[in-house]
Amino acid sequence: MYAKLILRNMKRSAKDYLIYIVTLTICSMLFYAFLSITSRYYRPEVGAEYDFTILGSNIKLAVVCITLLLLFLIRYVNNYMLRRRQKEFAIQSVLGMEQRTIAWLFFAETFILGAVCVLAGIVLGMLCSQLITAMLLSQYGLTFRLSFMLFPDTVFFTVCFFALSLLAVGLFNVRTLRRIKVIDMLYADRQNDPQLADSRYMPAATVLHGIVLLTMTLSGISKLHLYYDPRFPLPARVMFWGNLLSPLLAFTWHFIWLAAKAVRKNTWNFRRLLVPELILTILNICFSASVPPVCARYHISFGTSALGFDTGANTYLMFLLSDLIYLICGIFYLAGEVICLWKEKRPAHTYSGQNLFFFGQIISRLTTTAKTMTLICLTLVLSLFLFLVAPALTEWASGYLEIRALYDVQISTAYNNVYDEKDLPTKGYEPVSDFLEEHGIEPDMDCTFHLYLPRREEFRNRVKLDFPVAAIALSDYNTLRTMLGYAPVTLGEKEFATQWHPIATADYREKFLAEHGTVKTDAGVLTGSPVYYTEVLGETLYNRYTDVIYIFPDAVCKQLLPVMQNRYLQTKEPIAYQDALQLQETFMERYPEEPAGHEGVNYYLRTRTMQVNSSKAAIFTTHAMMAYSGVILMVICLTILSLQQLSDASQYRCRFGVLRKLGVEERDIEKLIVKQLRIWFGLPVTAAVLTAAVLAAYFFTTIRDQITAYIGFRTLAAQIAVTALILSILLVCYFLSTWILFKRAVGE
Amino acid sequence: MKPVLKLEHIQKYYGNEGNLTQAIQDISFCVEKGEFLAIMGASGSGKTTLLNCISTIDTVSAGRIYLEQTDVTDLKPKQLARFRRENLGFIFQDFNLLDTLTLEENISLALTINQTPLHEIGPRVQEMAVRLNIAEFLHKYPYQVSGGQKQRCACARALIGNPKLLLADEPTGALDSHAAQMLLSTLLGINETLNATILLVTHDAFSASYASRILFLKDGRVLTELNKGCDSRKVFYEKILSVLTMSGGGQTNVC
Repeated sequence: MYAKLILRNMKRSAKDYLIYIVTLTICSMLFYAFLSITSRYYRPEVGAEYDFTILGSNIKLAVVCITLLLLFLIRYVNNYMLRRRQKEFAIQSVLGMEQRTIAWLFFAETFILGAVCVLAGIVLGMLCSQLITAMLLSQYGLTFRLSFMLFPDTVFFTVCFFALSLLAVGLFNVRTLRRIKVIDMLYADRQNDPQLADSRYMPAATVLHGIVLLTMTLSGISKLHLYYDPRFPLPARVMFWGNLLSPLLAFTWHFIWLAAKAVRKNTWNFRRLLVPELILTILNICFSASVPPVCARYHISFGTSALGFDTGANTYLMFLLSDLIYLICGIFYLAGEVICLWKEKRPAHTYSGQNLFFFGQIISRLTTTAKTMTLICLTLVLSLFLFLVAPALTEWASGYLEIRALYDVQISTAYNNVYDEKDLPTKGYEPVSDFLEEHGIEPDMDCTFHLYLPRREEFRNRVKLDFPVAAIALSDYNTLRTMLGYAPVTLGEKEFATQWHPIATADYREKFLAEHGTVKTDAGVLTGSPVYYTEVLGETLYNRYTDVIYIFPDAVCKQLLPVMQNRYLQTKEPIAYQDALQLQETFMERYPEEPAGHEGVNYYLRTRTMQVNSSKAAIFTTHAMMAYSGVILMVICLTILSLQQLSDASQYRCRFGVLRKLGVEERDIEKLIVKQLRIWFGLPVTAAVLTAAVLAAYFFTTIRDQITAYIGFRTLAAQIAVTALILSILLVCYFLSTWILFKRAVGE
Repeated sequence: MKPVLKLEHIQKYYGNEGNLTQAIQDISFCVEKGEFLAIMGASGSGKTTLLNCISTIDTVSAGRIYLEQTDVTDLKPKQLARFRRENLGFIFQDFNLLDTLTLEENISLALTINQTPLHEIGPRVQEMAVRLNIAEFLHKYPYQVSGGQKQRCACARALIGNPKLLLADEPTGALDSHAAQMLLSTLLGINETLNATILLVTHDAFSASYASRILFLKDGRVLTELNKGCDSRKVFYEKILSVLTMSGGGQTNVC
């Protein structure tokens, strides 16, 4: 009998929670698919120069962490089911069933439902893992062949993970169910949803925002010396002052409100604090968002972090983020009241057609679910931001890889820790030649060359911001160009040219060339040639902290101090992964990266095989995980949005039934449903899209140099357009399925 | 006097060939303008089915229903909604008020659906609220008022559009005796002052005694008809009880 009860309930729940079931299936499918590439049995056909094992542990950990978010969804849906079915549980209890039995029946039902979803997900995951493999192989530039395989270790891991998750949530439900009194369950449906006025989340958010405002103000004060700098034009000054005064004003407003509230308690309610603060927050957002464009326009820098990011831009990004979060919280908190106000002030609109009913529907839901809507919106922002930023980051990394991995073997040196000229490198790296010969790797082209300092005295200069630009002999430079397929160049006798790293901006280049029309060297003064070269020749060609290298005639270089010795090598066949690993180890034994006692030459050996492997693995992991978390977060949000509508379908059926009896036409009812769903999906999605767009635009402005150098704005725009299209399809799918299920639920 | 509602040989079947249930066998009657007609019968006698057919929520298997000159059974599904909002008013046992709207908005909704001009809505709602004694609760939500007040609000909503026929399905079913009495007096008052035509479906003899004529249904047929005439309500109530006794229901077995 109990089994029958469980089965019947499952059948009914399956209909009610179709979207939840689909979501859980999709999530377990993605979980299995992404984990399958970490399986011990995963052996795609790739050449000897690739090794997939480095992907494994990173992905496994990331997938598990991201998927833990699903627990919230499972818990949310279970809570809903529990609330909706309380009356049924109460009746079972009144009939004499023990509360423990009821709880375990519910547990069995949800667990079996979940298990079916997970099993279906694994089967679909087999298909999806093919897609992931195709994506992975395309990253490595390999062709894909279809091959279905079930990985036992991944199946085991997936089943265990979801079983434990379902078990954890299920046990929590059992505990909750056993604690509720029968009388409370019986009258559960008579209780109204908790009113928003009792909620403490918005006052708490306001206090937190106050702390952020104080930090903003302090940060503004710390840069006060810049504000009076007469060299800055008006827009820069407006930006500086705006970023100080606007948060200061908002922060002070808290105290004005508190003082006013102390005097007149009744009139100065929380709303009177909130509305002006939200207006000031919008002002704040404008000022914070203006930082990267203004800084870029007028070359203002707040300092650079170790990774090359502008630290000032990062700080303002945090401020912008917190302001946007607060604004979203505020908007959803006040949305219900704004609609009420609109309703009151615009009777002609309110009392036209079915608008009265429509407003009632929206307001009743908004006031009770503002917190959930805010959370959904913020999660959507995160998801969209991940989607927007992922292509930029991965393209950046891919572009960077193209600039780095130009030679099969690249040996470079640094003299930062060399304090005596006689310790400078002079060796020819013979062990490398021996190793290649031993392993039958034939070199195609080979170039060992020195990099020189124009003036010997510059050897002592170790100031990071004033590091000397190195020079290369013309013949060596031309050999490198030939190795990479570029035409050789020529120089006059007392002439020099420049070769530029692609990251150097045009502004910087122009400024440098204008300032360095001539160069003083130990072999006399050289005049700058009007031509400069921007071909990609590898980043180890340049001296540390510089983006440019001089090209001097060979005769000049002979009289200069050689400070670095590099060797670039192209082989006839790609080097196998194991060989590359061994070569690196052999090299490091003789030429350490970190010299003993931190004094001496730093030697570096990079092989294309290793660079490609580690970078592509990292790029793939980053891209895959960002896309995975984006999809999971998005799917969770859309599921909750959709369930919120569908789970109240019985209530809606009654309401729409009344409309029908009052003589509203079916066509109008359908219009009302679409309108309601449009608001329900549209409000959080629009808010999230706008917020994510602001954040992404800010982020792209801060990394615009890297975008220009490695990606190109057009490629980025195309990538974003494709992502937007995929996300729109996902949204439309959820919207349509909700619409169809909703229509069916409220139908006669 | 011209009949407002006319039923001709109504039949209604449920189920399929193998398992056919005849809810209404053959019913014909007329309701005159301004009449307060009650339909009584035990559970399963077909009274709610009959009401659903009249209200166009359900369709008949055979026969014709005329509201004034309109043949309701001939209306196309697309015309039904318009017909309902222009001609009929409903009162349900479980009120069916929208919990998202205040009482005032619930009443206004019927007018806005009928596209009544904005300036008329406020005064008409107010007037109806005063008549039904709910003016002071207008700004409250349904869950904030009592069952009786809810039902009077539902009554106001049904009447505000001046329907040709007011259909009430067990309107006192969910009310206590005092609230029920108040509601019935209100209905009677409306019937008398506004000359509203009311069709009340009930199984309760006390409620039915407020009507001017009663049809007794049994097994999908009209068993008998009772006219109040010049009788007092008390006498009429006694008569109803005796009909119920004769028909096999009522209070024969109650000592």
